[in-house]
Amino acid sequence: MKFNHHLIVLSSIIFGFWLDDYLNQFSIKYFIELNFGFLIFTYWVFAMPEKIQSLAAMLYGLAVDLFFSNAIGFNMLFFVATSYVIHLYVFRLRIFSYFQLSVFFSGSSTFYIACKYLLLSPYNYSYYVLILSFLINAILWVGIYLMMRAFRRKIF
Amino acid sequence: MARYTPTNTPIRNYAIAFFLSVFFLYADISSQTFAPLRGIINASSLYVQVISKSVVENISFTFSSLKQNKYLLQENKKLREQTLQIGLKDFIEKKDNEEKTQVIDFTDTLFSVFKSNGINVFKIASIDLKNYFCCSSHKIFLHNPNKIKIEKNFPVFAGNSFVGQTKKTYMNFIEVILLSDVEHVLPIKSDFFYCDAGGRGKPMLISCKLNDKDFKNQIGDIVMTSGLGGIFLKDIEIGFISEIFPITPDEIEVVITLKTNPLDENFYGIISRNNEI
Repeated sequence: MKFNHHLIVLSSIIFGFWLDDYLNQFSIKYFIELNFGFLIFTYWVFAMPEKIQSLAAMLYGLAVDLFFSNAIGFNMLFFVATSYVIHLYVFRLRIFSYFQLSVFFSGSSTFYIACKYLLLSPYNYSYYVLILSFLINAILWVGIYLMMRAFRRKIF
Repeated sequence: MARYTPTNTPIRNYAIAFFLSVFFLYADISSQTFAPLRGIINASSLYVQVISKSVVENISFTFSSLKQNKYLLQENKKLREQTLQIGLKDFIEKKDNEEKTQVIDFTDTLFSVFKSNGINVFKIASIDLKNYFCCSSHKIFLHNPNKIKIEKNFPVFAGNSFVGQTKKTYMNFIEVILLSDVEHVLPIKSDFFYCDAGGRGKPMLISCKLNDKDFKNQIGDIVMTSGLGGIFLKDIEIGFISEIFPITPDEIEVVITLKTNPLDENFYGIISRNNEI
C-alpha cells in the first residue's frame, strides 16, 4: 500500500478518536463510552487485511497513543492484538451476517474499553458502562461499516 | 480436511510487535518513561489550536470582506470602522476592567490567606475535560507567557482554597495536577483525625481510609490541610466530609468534597520560592 493510503487510513482513525474525545465528555454521564476510533481501525483491518499488517497496526497505535492516550503502548498493544485476531479469522468473518459482525466488533471494542479502565482508570470501572457501550457500539458498527465501505470504494 | 481457512498471517511479526507494545506500556505505566514526550505533544497541540484559531478568524474575515459590495463597502467603511472601534474599545476596556478586578480580588484573597506578596497569578490555558469527567487523570495547564520559573511540587491556589500542585513546565505552559487526580496525595486533618487523602479520580472528590473506632466526625464537618507533607500550608480549609462508608468491620472510607471547583476558576496562584513554608 502506498504511503498516501496509509495516511488516509491513519487520518480516519485519528478522526474517530477525536470524535470519541469530543462526544464522550457528554455521553459518559449516561454511562456510554463511544469507540469510533477503534471501530474504524477494525474496519480497515477487516476490509484490507493484506494491506494492514503488524507493522502498520503498531504504528497506527503509536500515533493514536501519542495524541490521545494517557499511556504509550496501550493502543499499540490492542491494535496489534486485534489485527492478529482479525487476520486469523478474516475469511470466516466475511461470511458472517451484519448482526454477527456487529456483535464481534462491538465485543472487541467493549474488551478494549474494559482493559482501558482496568489499566488506566480502575476507580471508574463500571459494568453499566461496558453493557451500554456494547449495545451502542454494536449499533454504531453497522453505520461505520457502511460509511467506511463507501469511503474506501471512493478512495482506493 | 483443514478446519481453518488459510491466511497469510506471519505470527513472528505480530509477536515482536506485541512484546514491543507490552514493553512500552509497562515502561510508561510503571515509571512514566514517556511523560515528557506526552507533555510536549500536549503543549504543541495547544499552540496549534491557538494559532489555527487566529488563522481561521483572519481567513473568514478576508472572505467576508471580499463578498461585500464594493460601493457599500466604501460608503459604510468609515461609519462601520468607527462603530467597531468604539464597540471594540468598550469591550476591551470592560473585559480588561473585569479581569483586573478579578486579579485584584484573587490577589487580595491570596494575601489574606498567606500574608505574602510573593505570589504569581496565572490564567488558565486548558483543562483536560475528557479525563476530568471520566478518568483518573485530572490536570490543568496554566499560561505562563513571561516564562516565570516555577518549580515542581509547588501548591496551586484558586478561589479560596488549594486546588493542586505544579507538576512540570512545558514551553509557556505550567502543568498542574489537581487534588482529585488519583496520583495526588494531600495530608489533611479534622478535629478528630489526620490522614493522607488520595484523589478519587472523580471531580472535586478526595478520600482517605481511617480506623472506625477513632472516627468521631459527621457528614458536613470541615476538613483542613495538616501541612504534614511539607508542601501545602497548614490550616487552610480544603472541603467538607460528604460521605462515610465502611470498607471492613474496623475500617471506613471518608469521602471529602473539595471547596474549589477548578471549572469555575480563571486565575490560579502559585507561591514563589522565597515564600516557601
